[in-house]
Amino acid sequence: MKYLSIYVCLLLLLSGCELYEQDEYQEYYVVESYLIANDELPNVRLSTTSEITKEYSFKKNAVSDADVEIRLLNADSTVAETFPYSETNNGIYVSRVSATVQSKHLYQLHVVTPSGDTVTSTTYVPGDFSTVNDLQNRYTYQSEEQIEVTTTPSSYITGRQAFYIFSVNVVNPDSDNLTPFYRDLVINQENDIGNYFKNSSGIINEGNYEQNENGNITLTVPWLAIAFYELNDVIASAIDNNMYDFLRSQDVQTGGTSLSPGEIQNIRYNVKGGIGVFGSMATDTNRIYIERPQTITNQ
Amino acid sequence: MKYLAALVLAISLLPLSASSQQSASINGYISNAESGETLISANVDILDSRKGTSSNTSGYFALTNIEPGTHTIVATYIGFERFKQEITLEPGEKRRLDIELKPEGYQLDEVVVESQREKEDQRNIGMAQVKTEMIKKIPTAFQADVFRSLQLLPGVKAASDFSSGLYIRGGSPDQTLILLDRTTVYNPSHFFGFFSTFNPDAVKDVRLYKGGYPAKYGGRLGSVLTIYNKDGNRNEFAGSATIGMLASRVSIEGPIKNGSYMLAFRRSTLEPILAILQESNENIPESFYFWDLNGKINYDANQNNKLSLAFYSGVDDLKFPFAEDASVNLNYGNQTLSANWTHIFSENIFSNFTLTGSRYFNFPSFDIASTPFERNNNIYDFSLKGDIEYLPNNKHEISSGFWIGNLTLKLRDEFDGQETFSSRIQSQYGSLYLQDKWSISDKWSITPGLRLATFSEGNYVRLEPRLSMEYRPSNRVRLQAAYGRYNQFLTLVSNEAFTGFDVWLTTDEGVPPAYGNQYVIGAKTIPWEGYGFDVELYYRSMKNLFEPDPFLPDRAGLPYAETFRFGKGYAYGAELFFERQIGDLTGFIGYNFSVTRRKFPDFNEPVLVNGPARFYPPKYDRIHDLNVVLEYDISRRWSSTLVFNYATGQAFTQPLGRTTAFDFPTSSSNLDQLLVGRVNASRLPPYHRLDIGVSRKGTFFGIGEAEWQFQLINAYSRRNIWFYNYDLDKNPAQREDIQLLPLLPTISYTLDF
Repeated sequence: MKYLSIYVCLLLLLSGCELYEQDEYQEYYVVESYLIANDELPNVRLSTTSEITKEYSFKKNAVSDADVEIRLLNADSTVAETFPYSETNNGIYVSRVSATVQSKHLYQLHVVTPSGDTVTSTTYVPGDFSTVNDLQNRYTYQSEEQIEVTTTPSSYITGRQAFYIFSVNVVNPDSDNLTPFYRDLVINQENDIGNYFKNSSGIINEGNYEQNENGNITLTVPWLAIAFYELNDVIASAIDNNMYDFLRSQDVQTGGTSLSPGEIQNIRYNVKGGIGVFGSMATDTNRIYIERPQTITNQ
Repeated sequence: MKYLAALVLAISLLPLSASSQQSASINGYISNAESGETLISANVDILDSRKGTSSNTSGYFALTNIEPGTHTIVATYIGFERFKQEITLEPGEKRRLDIELKPEGYQLDEVVVESQREKEDQRNIGMAQVKTEMIKKIPTAFQADVFRSLQLLPGVKAASDFSSGLYIRGGSPDQTLILLDRTTVYNPSHFFGFFSTFNPDAVKDVRLYKGGYPAKYGGRLGSVLTIYNKDGNRNEFAGSATIGMLASRVSIEGPIKNGSYMLAFRRSTLEPILAILQESNENIPESFYFWDLNGKINYDANQNNKLSLAFYSGVDDLKFPFAEDASVNLNYGNQTLSANWTHIFSENIFSNFTLTGSRYFNFPSFDIASTPFERNNNIYDFSLKGDIEYLPNNKHEISSGFWIGNLTLKLRDEFDGQETFSSRIQSQYGSLYLQDKWSISDKWSITPGLRLATFSEGNYVRLEPRLSMEYRPSNRVRLQAAYGRYNQFLTLVSNEAFTGFDVWLTTDEGVPPAYGNQYVIGAKTIPWEGYGFDVELYYRSMKNLFEPDPFLPDRAGLPYAETFRFGKGYAYGAELFFERQIGDLTGFIGYNFSVTRRKFPDFNEPVLVNGPARFYPPKYDRIHDLNVVLEYDISRRWSSTLVFNYATGQAFTQPLGRTTAFDFPTSSSNLDQLLVGRVNASRLPPYHRLDIGVSRKGTFFGIGEAEWQFQLINAYSRRNIWFYNYDLDKNPAQREDIQLLPLLPTISYTLDF
């Protein structure tokens, strides 16, 4: 018997029979909602995942008739106020009451599904911040004078440095207004123009910027961020941990890291009982006008 | 430093008094009679006794404690005529005997008689050697390559057809110390990883310590690759020119007074192909080239002092306007310089001192819509090393040495004209080793060794014991075992698909060195004359593997230690190697069974939070790997080669489910998400490929010997898979095969003059 077990072990070893086996697909609840400081409470999406070989759509995977709440929490995580939600479309829930998201506060998403499962997630809304410098109304594309935004610092509950995303959102999208690089991507390389309506940087640490004596930081908007001429909103966003974890791991999933191709890792979700994002951020927006440079106008 | 030198000297000189005054000794260099090149691991025996040894990496040998009288000295080396000379030694005589061996072209059968002893060193535990002739003959895509040849050995794997990186016994490429003429090379790649930097025309000796390597080496967890360039022909001017599809090369060598020189140049010749492609395709680089230059000068000051200066310089350069108003430029390469002094203190004390300099650089830059990104990455490594070999008697071969150096890593990033990252790490490193190969009896030998390694960045001091043993129950069987402790103070940030942006980082406070143990047992046998059959089993642990956290999008403002993740791993396996060295048909079959696992915190966790991290196989893990390499001499003019590889498909992660974020505030497109189970729990289809080559030798208008080489890479056009890409724009998601090399014919012409 002893020899038999040795032989079996050896056979397993030599045949390369792995105990490390592929998992079976399992369905999860998916939540999605983003609180923005000083905005109204956001909608909440509730759905399920889909098997990779099956067709996926939100409508098909939406979860209806759930009990959805967003709760404002005290510092000790007890509930200070509850905002009940009701379903408007399949799987989309809206707040029944009007309330403004408060920066530097904890919020919790609490969902009870029709089958009695509970999905929860908590976020801390980053500290609000604002632009302190005067921006010009008009900038000439690729001129020496770049858009500079000086903001007050944002803060976070853990005392960590702020994580920013800078976006340039076009106000009136028009393919005739695409800047040369993006025009090439859209016209010649057949990318969807919609991908560039909101043109965002990756996550940028506060540590990238030198703070002045007031603790303010100054961002220079790179010309690469400008996808369209004419009116654009330059938005600085300080994101919470949930958005940070989601975005950085989703970015790894789509490639561009030192991981080998095909070595895919799950996204980091800070959700109990399901997956998804219940995130928050504080933002500051400046509207600017981008003029065509003379040489391009003449083309 | 003062103490270091004193210690080495003390260790070296301590046993001097013990040497016998009455016995005689023989010492000298063994070299190629035609070119004057010293021969590494050539065998020297005294016929009527059991005394024998092999030449070291400088071609030097010493036989001590020989009874006075008349003896027959025999020296052998594969491919060379047997040297035999009768000598009479007086009591106390120290005979200097420099031996020249004559190359012997086609009489392999005769040579093989001595192969048992000749291959002693090459068949030490964990060690493999690749002949430069084999590197040139083996079919490889576009260009003969040292690393591609090494990848055919059991235990050595490639990440893909596009990568020449060495994955040895479960280790990643940064776990192999690569030394060119005793100098560390940090990025040994051309063409973004497709080829290694080593020009086969310049290379004299390639040996790989796959594991359990001796105390002489350190600084890497896994293995050591030593490459020695040719010294140059000491007797006459000679040269070689090769025209290939991707690159062409030329080399010259010849004598100088009391010495020799060698120069070898190689450059890519892609310009005509790029020009043709640019006419029909848009996304083609504006320019791409690489070149490298190897050189060496040797000077023999006298019989006991040899000096040499060796250098290498290589560059890859790319200019690629990949869209309107957008371009990428990349310039990267290596430079090495080593000055070597070989000194024979006495007939039984041999020394070698080397001053080395190594630089690796890469300067990638992007300019997109007038937004520049520039990186300036430089590594400078200057060191001094010394190795002393002492043979007090025929039972002991004591070696000791030191290696001290200064390593500077400078990395600076600029985005849109503003500095976004800047670091300058300067670290002093040092090591001492002592090793004794003790031949206890004719059957037993044991080699204990100890290495002390220090690294100033973080103030780390590590002791590394090493031990190897050998038992010879018969002349045809060697049973071996080895153990070693290894530390690594550096880590490499790279990508298997592209090596042009490689960055090295070091330990520091809070970032301790990676370490691991290796255990190897093996049997080297000679089942029949002219054949070899070797088996090795290994297990190795890897602890505290530190690497930059791939999930950190930006490291600014974070303490150095927080930018890393720390993991562990292990690997075990069995390697079989069967070789035939006689007759018209020669070659080998190598088989490797292996298992490699890694584990990092927060990686490979179950999808719901708070699950434990699990071990996973890295992508390059292959359970079974079989290589067949055959060479057949059809006639004196024609020969053919065949290489077949079969391997278990690489590990990959099978997506199980999907979902999408529809409202992400900073994105105008939906963010698709994959759900996976265990990382890399699935396998790609098995990899197999057949490469064949035919070569014809001739003469070129009486100028010299010439050779045509015709090769078919992937002869039956197996479409092996590199990885799967999942297109989530399709609904349901569609899997796309990203394939490796198709059928690829190559041709080259070489002229030796």
